[in-house]
Amino acid sequence: MLQIVAMRIKLAVTAALLCCVSIVRGDEQLFGFVRGAETLPAHRWEVYQFVTLGEGKREGTYYGTHFETEAEYGLTDQFQASLSLIQHYFYNKGVDGDRDALDNTNAYRFGGFEGSAKYRVLSPFKDPIGVALRLEAGYLLHDDVDGLDQHERYIKPEIDFQKDFLEDRLICAVDLGAEWAWGKQPAEQYPRELSFEGAAGVAYRFAPNWYAGVEIHTRWEYPLFDLSNFEHRVFYAGPSIHYSQERWWATLTWNYQVYGKGVDEPADGQTFAEETRQLFRLKVGFNF
Amino acid sequence: MKSEFVFIALPACALIAPSAFAVQYLTVEQAQRAIFPGKTFTAAPVKLTSVQRKAIEQASGVRVLHDEQQVWRVSGGGWFIVDEVVGKHEYITYAAGLAADGSVKQIEIMDYRETYGGQIRDQKWRAQFVGKTSKSTLKLDSDIKNISGATLSCRHITDGVKRLLAFYEIAIKH
Repeated sequence: MLQIVAMRIKLAVTAALLCCVSIVRGDEQLFGFVRGAETLPAHRWEVYQFVTLGEGKREGTYYGTHFETEAEYGLTDQFQASLSLIQHYFYNKGVDGDRDALDNTNAYRFGGFEGSAKYRVLSPFKDPIGVALRLEAGYLLHDDVDGLDQHERYIKPEIDFQKDFLEDRLICAVDLGAEWAWGKQPAEQYPRELSFEGAAGVAYRFAPNWYAGVEIHTRWEYPLFDLSNFEHRVFYAGPSIHYSQERWWATLTWNYQVYGKGVDEPADGQTFAEETRQLFRLKVGFNF
Repeated sequence: MKSEFVFIALPACALIAPSAFAVQYLTVEQAQRAIFPGKTFTAAPVKLTSVQRKAIEQASGVRVLHDEQQVWRVSGGGWFIVDEVVGKHEYITYAAGLAADGSVKQIEIMDYRETYGGQIRDQKWRAQFVGKTSKSTLKLDSDIKNISGATLSCRHITDGVKRLLAFYEIAIKH
């Protein structure tokens, strides 16, 4: 009984907070996995909630749901910083193949914290091409495959390009980055890892407030920071749809694993040890 | 676990709640009075031919969004034009008053629905357009100063005025 009352109070408080948030309206990220070169104006806040569902391993049932709650602030018109809280919920059963063996899990895991800073070098609205430099760092207590204990620290520099066409209604964006991570054991076999990441997308504003797009993103991993020590590479691609109002926006993306190759896995065009068959991502953002 | 997902679902429900918050700062009549106080207006809408459209685009370097343009002839000389440019989410509606010689008398922002960039309503920024003609450069960071944090809106209004001045030369001057 007490639990029901407590839950109702929590729901009421949460709903009240959300109603307050709903009074103001926001800006947007057009893609699920691609970042453009825009930054927040000075002294403006944006709060995001990302929910990413990774579904499907080679066998069994796998759902890895990742929640990222992020607050972002424009320090100047060219420079913004953000802090994120990472959480996970894992449900998997019968994922017991040679290449992606996981313990059956049905549990919440606290992920950790991430921070980022982004500096816009060139504006996509004024200069021939928009360019931004981004640096992200984080501390993660559980891995994002099955929620195993770890103490991962990572740093991820990135460069983001954006070129707009048709009065800024057609947006093309490309991101290139690398990630150095330490403390991945025991969740992974090796304590440190180097990854390269890339993403590209095209979005078109087909009606006021609405964008439709396609995007692709890839990740290549090399344990022990050794480029001759290849672990896996993966490509995901799919569509995204974006809706925005003045003070809020939402983006829904589906990405399918179109190609994957893992060093210990059969060469059948997909990799599952650290990846899933498909990814769904919902992002909502509120501007202040 | 169910309660966890209720908390996750609530933000999605909250998305449905907010309605559009389009701000209309000025009606057509209010914009007319602001730019040409005490004058009377005669509607003189213009429908562009494909030749005129191409000529405007060539002269201004800006794409024509609509073939029909809302134009009013002002008593005593001058023109009042209502135009739209692309904003990040929706169109930005503005009015331009042209003096009898075709130079810009004043511009007014009528509807603005964007998250950021509302600073283009600032009188000092809009005053930069006064006296501009079709011979003017009308380029951001050149003869029109940008407002940092409102770059998209500044550029699109600047391009819009440049297109309107070419429209005046080609479609209504003669």
